[in-house]
Amino acid sequence: MRKKLLVGILVGVMAMGTLAGCGGSDNGGGAEGDSTVANSGSGGGAEGGAVEGAEVTLIMSSRDEFLSTLEAGAQAAAKEVGIKLTSQDAQNDQARVLQYVETAKNNGNAAVIVNLVDADAAEQIVEAAGDMKVVFVNRRPSDVSLLNENVVYVGSDEMQSGGYQGQYLAEYFKEKGQTEIKYILLKGTEGLVHTEQRTESVLAALEENGITATEASAPLVADYDRATAQDMISPLITTADYDCIISNNDAMALGAIEALEAAGIDPSTIPVVGIDATVDGCQAVADGKMYMTVFQDADGQGYGACMAVVNLLEGNPINEGTDFELDDTGYISWIPFTPVDKDNVADYM
Amino acid sequence: MNANVKKRLSDNMMWLVLIALIIVMSIGNSNFFTIANFRTLLTSESVKGVMAFGVAFCILTKGIDLSIGASAGLIACVTGALVQPLDYASKILTGVQLPAIVAILIALAMGCAIGAIQGAIIAYTKMPAFIATLGGQLICRAAAKVFTTRPVSNLSDGYRFLGNGQIGPIPVIVVVFVIVCLLAAFILGQTRFGKSLYAIGGNDQAARVAGINVERNLVLTYVWCGVLAALAGVLLAGRAGSADPATSGLNYELDAIAAATVGGTSHTGGICRISGVLCGILILGVINNGLVLLGVNDNYTNIIKGIIIVGAVALDMKKNTRKA
Repeated sequence: MRKKLLVGILVGVMAMGTLAGCGGSDNGGGAEGDSTVANSGSGGGAEGGAVEGAEVTLIMSSRDEFLSTLEAGAQAAAKEVGIKLTSQDAQNDQARVLQYVETAKNNGNAAVIVNLVDADAAEQIVEAAGDMKVVFVNRRPSDVSLLNENVVYVGSDEMQSGGYQGQYLAEYFKEKGQTEIKYILLKGTEGLVHTEQRTESVLAALEENGITATEASAPLVADYDRATAQDMISPLITTADYDCIISNNDAMALGAIEALEAAGIDPSTIPVVGIDATVDGCQAVADGKMYMTVFQDADGQGYGACMAVVNLLEGNPINEGTDFELDDTGYISWIPFTPVDKDNVADYM
Repeated sequence: MNANVKKRLSDNMMWLVLIALIIVMSIGNSNFFTIANFRTLLTSESVKGVMAFGVAFCILTKGIDLSIGASAGLIACVTGALVQPLDYASKILTGVQLPAIVAILIALAMGCAIGAIQGAIIAYTKMPAFIATLGGQLICRAAAKVFTTRPVSNLSDGYRFLGNGQIGPIPVIVVVFVIVCLLAAFILGQTRFGKSLYAIGGNDQAARVAGINVERNLVLTYVWCGVLAALAGVLLAGRAGSADPATSGLNYELDAIAAATVGGTSHTGGICRISGVLCGILILGVINNGLVLLGVNDNYTNIIKGIIIVGAVALDMKKNTRKA
C-alpha cells in the first residue's frame, strides 16, 4: 500500500517534471506535442493570405525579462489582428531553435518569428522554414543577404546601444577636462552577437569622441547576472585604478553598484552605465546611482515582429500600421534605442 | 617518512595547495593579501559555501543534489516578493508584505519541503539521486520563471540583513557561513545522524544490518541540503539586492559540488570532512578572487578551475584505492 502510494507520488512528480520541461526545455518530440496541444482546435491554416486565425510560432532564445516583455508585445499584437501565436523557449540552444522551426512547419504554421541564439546560423533556419514566412526579431542574422520578400528582420541596431553609452561617458569626462580614462568592463555571455556589439560599439564611440580609454582589468564576464557581476567586481572596487564602469546590461551594472556601496563608495562619484532600462535600472538612474542606461523597446520589437508577419502574409511593406522605419531594402524594420539619464528617466518608469 | 606523517600529509594535502595558491596570488598582486580583500573573498564565497556544506552530506551518502542552485533561485524570488514594500510600483505580489523573519522562515520551510520530496523519492524508490534532483532542478527553475518574468528587487532591509548587513567590521553573511560550517561539523562529528551517514555512505547494506534506518536518514540528508539551499537563496538575494528567476543561482550547484569534491568528499561515499570542504571552498574562492586581481581572462580562470578540480579528485581517488 505504502509502496503504491510512493509510486503514485513519483509518477506525479515525473509528470510535473515533463510538464515543466515542455514549458522550458524539451527536445523536438516534446515540443511537437506541446505545439499540437496549443494549436489544437484551430483547423484552418493561412491559405490564400487569410491572416485571421493564422498559426504563428514565436521562438525565443531564452525567457529572460527582456524577451518576456517582447513576447508580451507580440501576444498583444497577435490578439489585435487575430493570429494564433504560440511561444517557445529555446534555452539559448540554437539546435532547439531549429527543432521548433521544423515543428512549426510540420504543424502547418503560416510563419515563424525567430529570436536567434546564433546569428551565424540564420541560413539553416530559412532553409528549414520552407514556405513559411520568417521574421527574425531582436537578433539580426549576421548574413543580411538572406533577407528577402519572405524573410525579414525586426529589431534594434545593437551598435547604437553601446554607442549611446560611449557618447554619454565622453561628454561626462570632457566636462571634467579628462581625455584619458580607465574603465572596468562587465561583459555579458561571450559568443552572443549583442554582447560583442555592445562592447565593440561603446569602445568605438569613446574613441570617436576623442577619449582614450584603456581597460583597468581583464573584461569581467558575468553572464548578464547581477550577483555574478557583484562577486567578480568586488575584489577590484578598492584596489584597481578606474574612472568608470561599463556594463553590457543593467543587471550587471546594479551588481557593480551594490559592490561600490558595500565598499563604502558613493556610486554617484563613479559613472556606471548600463543597457536595457529595466525597472531597477531606471530606479538607479533616478536615484543618481547609475549614470545612464539605454532603453531598448522590447515591447515595440515584439509588436513590430507580429505586425511584420501580418504584412508579409498580406503582401504589404513590413512596417505598415506601425511608426517604425524601414531600411533601404525594405526587409528591415528598425525599432529605435533611446538613451535614458536623469533628465528623461521619469518617462520610462 | 613514517606512515603516520604520510597519512597526515595526504589528509591535509589540500591545505598545502591552498597555502601555495595564497602565496602565488600574494606575490602576483600586492592587493591580494589584505584584510579587506579576505573580507571580500569570504563574502563572495559564502553563498556557494553554504550550499557546499549541504551537498557534501548528499555526496557522503553516494548521492548528489543538482537542484540546489535552481531551488535557491526559486525560493529567493518567492520570498523576495513577499518582502517588497507595499508602495513599490513594480511589486510582484500586490498587497502582501510580510516581516522579514516570516519570509525567511517560509524560505527555510520551502527548502525543507523540496529536500523532503527529493529525499523521499531517492530513498524509497532507489532512483539515482542524479536523476531525481535533475528533475527537481528543471522544475524549480521553470517554477521561478512562471512565478515572475522580471527580477524581484527593492527587498526590505530586514530581509537583506543576512546577505548585506554588517556587525562592526564583519559582514553578517560571513557569520552565517561560519555558523553553518560549525553546525555541519557538529552534526557529522558528534551526532548519531552524522555517524549514520558515514555508515550508509560506506556500505548501506551493512548500515541496515547494524540497525540504521537508511531511508529516514537519506530523507533527512536531502532536507538538510534543501534547507541550506534555501538559506543560500536568501543570502544571494540579500547580497545582490535582487533575485532573478532566470539567472539567480544558475550553475551554483556545480561550484558547490566542486568545492565539496576538492575538499576530499568522495563520490564513492563514506568519506567527508567538513574541514576539507571548507578548504575546498577557500581554494575556489582564492582562484576566483585572485585571478580577477591578476587580470586573468575569464576563460583561463575556468580552465585553471577545471584542472584543479580534476587534479584534486585524481589525488583523492589514488589515496582511497591505496587504502582499500
